[in-house]
Amino acid sequence: MRLTALPLFAAAMALCAETGPVRVEIFEDLPKGSELAPGEAKPVFVYSEPYFAFPRIPTKYSGEALPLDRSVPFVMRATMEGALPAGKHVFRLRSRGAAVLTVDGVEVARTAGQKPNTSSDDPVPPPVVHDDSGRRPAPYPHQDAVAEVAGGKTRRIELITVIGGKGLMPTPGELSVSFGPAGKVERLLGGADAPMLTDEAWDGVVAQSEARHRTADRARRLDSSKDVVARWRQRHDAVREYWKSRPVAVPAATAGYPANPGIDRFLAAKMKASTVAPLASISDLEFLRRVTLDATGLIPTAEEVRAFQADPPATRRAKAVERLLADPAWADNQVSYWQDVLAENPGILKPDLNNTGPFRFWIHQAFQDGVPFDRFVTELVQMEGSAHQGAPAGFAQATLNDAPMAAKADILAQAFLGQKLGCARCHDAPFHPFKQKDLFSLAAMLNGKPMKLPVTSTVPVVEGMRKPAVQITLKPGEIIEPEWAFHDLIRHNDGAPAPTDGKVDSRRQLANLIVSPQNERFAKVVVNRVWKRHMGLGIVEPVDDWSRAKASHPELLDFLAREFVMSGYDIKHVSRLIFQSHAYQRKPVEQLTEQQTTAEKRYFAGPLRRRMSAEQLVDSLHRAAGKEFECEELNLNPAGDRSPNQFLNMGKPSRAWQMTALSNERDRPALALPVAQSIVDVMTAYGWRQSRQSAATQRDDAASPMQTLILANGVLGTRMIRLSDDSAFTALALKDAPLTQLIAETFLRVLSRPPAPEELKSMRELLEPHYAGRKVAGAESAALARKTDTRVSWSNHLSAEATRIRMEEERNLRMGDQPTNRLKPAFRERYEDALWAMVNSPEFVLMP
Amino acid sequence: MQRRDFLMTGAAGAAMAAVNEAPPKGKAGACIYIWLGGGAAHTDTWDPKVRGDGKKKPGSYYDSIDTAIRGEKVCEHLKKSAPLMDRAVIVRSVSHGISAEHAAAANLVHTGRLPSGTLQYPSIGSIVANQLGARTEEVPAYVVMGYPNIMRDPGFLGAKYGYVYLTQTETGPTGLIRPPDVDLNREDRRETLLGKMREGYRKRNAKDEVVEQQDAVTRQAFKLAGPKFLNVFDLKREAQALRESYGGEFGQRCLLARRLVQSGVRFVEVSHNLNFLNGSGWDTHNEGQLNQHLLIQELDSAFSTLISDLEKNKMLDSTLVVVATEFGRPPEFDSGGGRGHQSLAYSMVLAGGGLKTGQVVGRTDDTGKKIVEKRVSIPDFHATIHCALGIDPHKNMFAGERPVPITDRGQPLRELFS
Repeated sequence: MRLTALPLFAAAMALCAETGPVRVEIFEDLPKGSELAPGEAKPVFVYSEPYFAFPRIPTKYSGEALPLDRSVPFVMRATMEGALPAGKHVFRLRSRGAAVLTVDGVEVARTAGQKPNTSSDDPVPPPVVHDDSGRRPAPYPHQDAVAEVAGGKTRRIELITVIGGKGLMPTPGELSVSFGPAGKVERLLGGADAPMLTDEAWDGVVAQSEARHRTADRARRLDSSKDVVARWRQRHDAVREYWKSRPVAVPAATAGYPANPGIDRFLAAKMKASTVAPLASISDLEFLRRVTLDATGLIPTAEEVRAFQADPPATRRAKAVERLLADPAWADNQVSYWQDVLAENPGILKPDLNNTGPFRFWIHQAFQDGVPFDRFVTELVQMEGSAHQGAPAGFAQATLNDAPMAAKADILAQAFLGQKLGCARCHDAPFHPFKQKDLFSLAAMLNGKPMKLPVTSTVPVVEGMRKPAVQITLKPGEIIEPEWAFHDLIRHNDGAPAPTDGKVDSRRQLANLIVSPQNERFAKVVVNRVWKRHMGLGIVEPVDDWSRAKASHPELLDFLAREFVMSGYDIKHVSRLIFQSHAYQRKPVEQLTEQQTTAEKRYFAGPLRRRMSAEQLVDSLHRAAGKEFECEELNLNPAGDRSPNQFLNMGKPSRAWQMTALSNERDRPALALPVAQSIVDVMTAYGWRQSRQSAATQRDDAASPMQTLILANGVLGTRMIRLSDDSAFTALALKDAPLTQLIAETFLRVLSRPPAPEELKSMRELLEPHYAGRKVAGAESAALARKTDTRVSWSNHLSAEATRIRMEEERNLRMGDQPTNRLKPAFRERYEDALWAMVNSPEFVLMP
Repeated sequence: MQRRDFLMTGAAGAAMAAVNEAPPKGKAGACIYIWLGGGAAHTDTWDPKVRGDGKKKPGSYYDSIDTAIRGEKVCEHLKKSAPLMDRAVIVRSVSHGISAEHAAAANLVHTGRLPSGTLQYPSIGSIVANQLGARTEEVPAYVVMGYPNIMRDPGFLGAKYGYVYLTQTETGPTGLIRPPDVDLNREDRRETLLGKMREGYRKRNAKDEVVEQQDAVTRQAFKLAGPKFLNVFDLKREAQALRESYGGEFGQRCLLARRLVQSGVRFVEVSHNLNFLNGSGWDTHNEGQLNQHLLIQELDSAFSTLISDLEKNKMLDSTLVVVATEFGRPPEFDSGGGRGHQSLAYSMVLAGGGLKTGQVVGRTDDTGKKIVEKRVSIPDFHATIHCALGIDPHKNMFAGERPVPITDRGQPLRELFS
């Protein structure tokens, strides 16, 4: 029976018509025991869904747009009314936790609540079996409850479910209600066009739900933070007033030197008095590859290259800059940098190695939402929101650290003030003008009250023994008051515009002192960081330690700082100025000589030659191949029966910055995530730190043989060049086009340039003999077959079966993606070998 | 600088006094570091006591047998190793303060330090790689058989001192083995094409230092993945009887470790992580205890064969074998018949490496609960390994300009050096 009468169902009720007919209410803090009967309780949030599938719950935000935790547990009620076609129907409730399904107020199905699990050696449940119906089986540890309901009239259907709880993950799992004729696959309850409960359709349901909620979350948090945005705007107006009186003189143009207004004039003025000459401009295509990587962390697509080439030569570079700065990927490319600088270090398994919460998600959100950078810093310092769901509260955490706030004070001072206090953790800094007290008085500001120096944060002095080589002026146990330590930067912020809201605690005071317009160091440190990211070297070096540093171009630094402040603390504005400069658009400096390493002799004749970052490499490989980012969910407790304090669910990554340390210190095969590991292997070789126990601005960028090897022979490299049915290269090769066009298009996709004549020649020689007969007649495209067995969870990871399952996945993964049947192996292998050579050439990883 | 372990040792004065004495300098050139992840019960392996009953009465779970060290016994399931213990040193008084969390303790036993939040400390394998380097350009300095994780990382030393790893001997080292579908013919074709791509790029950027460096490591990489090193992984080249004597996957890893050392690798970590043998690995809570003897027997076969094999190949004096674990376990049994964690008194083993072997260092009390003689800290244990390898444990490494001593004031066990 097809569900012919269903349109009635869809048309009858639209309680909340925005996205669908299902009205959903979220309840928090219901009295214990009455969770499954919210009755007339007031929901904290009401929204709608197109059908009864709830893989994603809306994020809760504070007035500052920070993600918040919901109560433990919280309750969801979903309701729909509609005419049910005549005859008998099967209703299928699928839930991981406690849920009740009622029809016209009468309970028809119920699932039991999930219990926290303390085991690690449970048996792996038997594999889920597909019956003849084609229905997606309930994944472990979900339960199905099935009821028969008579149709023929309008019915009110209500689902109430408890999500999370003590020792449980606060996620709904694959919660759904579907209905249909007995013995057949059901359709999700909603409308006639609601998806069926099949494996293929479910993947789509999850993806669409994620996309829909991501958009809705963003709109909601922008709306909820309107007042905050307005307050920061007011503050920026006041700040502009303050800075208006302090203009920076831009030098006149220097004759004979290429100069876009601004940056280049400062550089030309210094270069003129030297023997150093500016290097030549790079080609348009080189520029496009460089700026696309710098702005979005990706190489340009072939389409972008073509559109760029179609633009008028005089304006195409400027136009590309604007397009790229508006690209949502701009935010992605900011995250990894600040993860390093702010030592974001989440652990997915019983975090205990100086771990923080996953505040990467807030970093991304802030850049995506265009949060001004002074507000960003203020919110970071205040450390509020949900620690587990990615808010700045996660920054406050530091597991197994004797003085977390001292660690954070050190990170903040390096990041935003260029003050490296790390040595002062245990003694007065031997190479810096800091005393241990300076660090601990800042730490006390973060602490909100006086702090005692831990006995473990000192160097022991033993009577009669050799004296330590370092000065110690604080005694263990000494009490340190909250106090601002950097009076040479700013004494106090009396003259600065007042705080934007009523908060006066010491964290807020610290934030105000850091971002105060009177504290010019802040703006200078930030613009210098941006400059270094794009030019390869700072105006001040090292960028995180200004104690002995000299600016190579002090006036340029003033100019950029002023631009930054006047733009409303907009990092994007600073990037734009740099991208537009001639200096940025020059050939890279060939040799890192003295002029690049001492401030006096630093001219910026051109930027430094940079290698793609680990994240840029991984993301660019995916972009070249046109493949989706495929990876397991970063979660060692898919069963959901453990506390989020112990097991973090970091979700399914779609960009490389979302990868994380895989935390298999236990060295157990069943705790491995093989696909994630294969990506992490590449990233580690290219300088990504799986553990960010401390802040770092400069990654380890030394070239090493492992970089070549892991790309050449490793799983990720093999997958990216494999001509599977989801590869863009496969689609290219199947096009009816001359071979030269395939080669040209391939070069464009991978290296953003046409092939050189000798390259074209060698590629032709390789591919020509098999090109004409490359296609297999009648062969069809196959879907990607690799699946992660979600039965393996912490609760059973010690079992032999769990070990066997993961080791088999590891072995299968080594084979790479399934090759397409549509191309004959003789051609396919040659084309893959060509791709291999292009991707493994140093040209791919080194930026123009 | 060095702060925490110091305070946990409480032996400040003695440690400080000894700092000025020149450390002994051993002659070993390589280290095989066997890792019993999970925390191996010392009273069920290297430090047997009166038997318990598996329930109320604390004590060893097995009988004990004599060893080649006069008057010293080990667990009955170490019967192949027992007669070879004169080639080894049992350190029965290892002690540190982390017993709650495996990862934190394992990290401590690998790096010799607790995380500080100001630096990520390197693993002992990375330190050895940094101090000694590989013997030849054709092999890496540091190889791990187990899963990559933070405790094995190079930390502030940088990726250059990281490891090559494999998770199963049959699949070989990640990144060094050609993908299964690439035969020699394809490999040759690939490298020819790559050669042309590289040449063109180099020519267009003739004087660029960074291009030159990246190209140079590409060249070096293919040398590393060359047949000389990859043949090391072909265990079929060994006699069948020897392979059988080593035992299962763990034994094969130990055999591979010997081959790696022979080829010039300096530090090989071999993880014994096949937890399915008893359902819990060495982390023998609850029922994991029942079949713990299977793990011990597997360790016994592999360890004893490794010692004799190294000796037969005249490598024992120059190869230090370490059996390490994150903590021991208390003599009492938990309600499920297994054991909890105990870090304040447990055993680790050193063998070969040119040390004065046939000794036991330190003692625990009648139940194995407390140390009664010579506490050995993790920095002390590390210092002993470094000294055996000719590395000065007090020497500074540098994290930027910050000096970081190789060990946190570790004092080598001088009685092991002549």
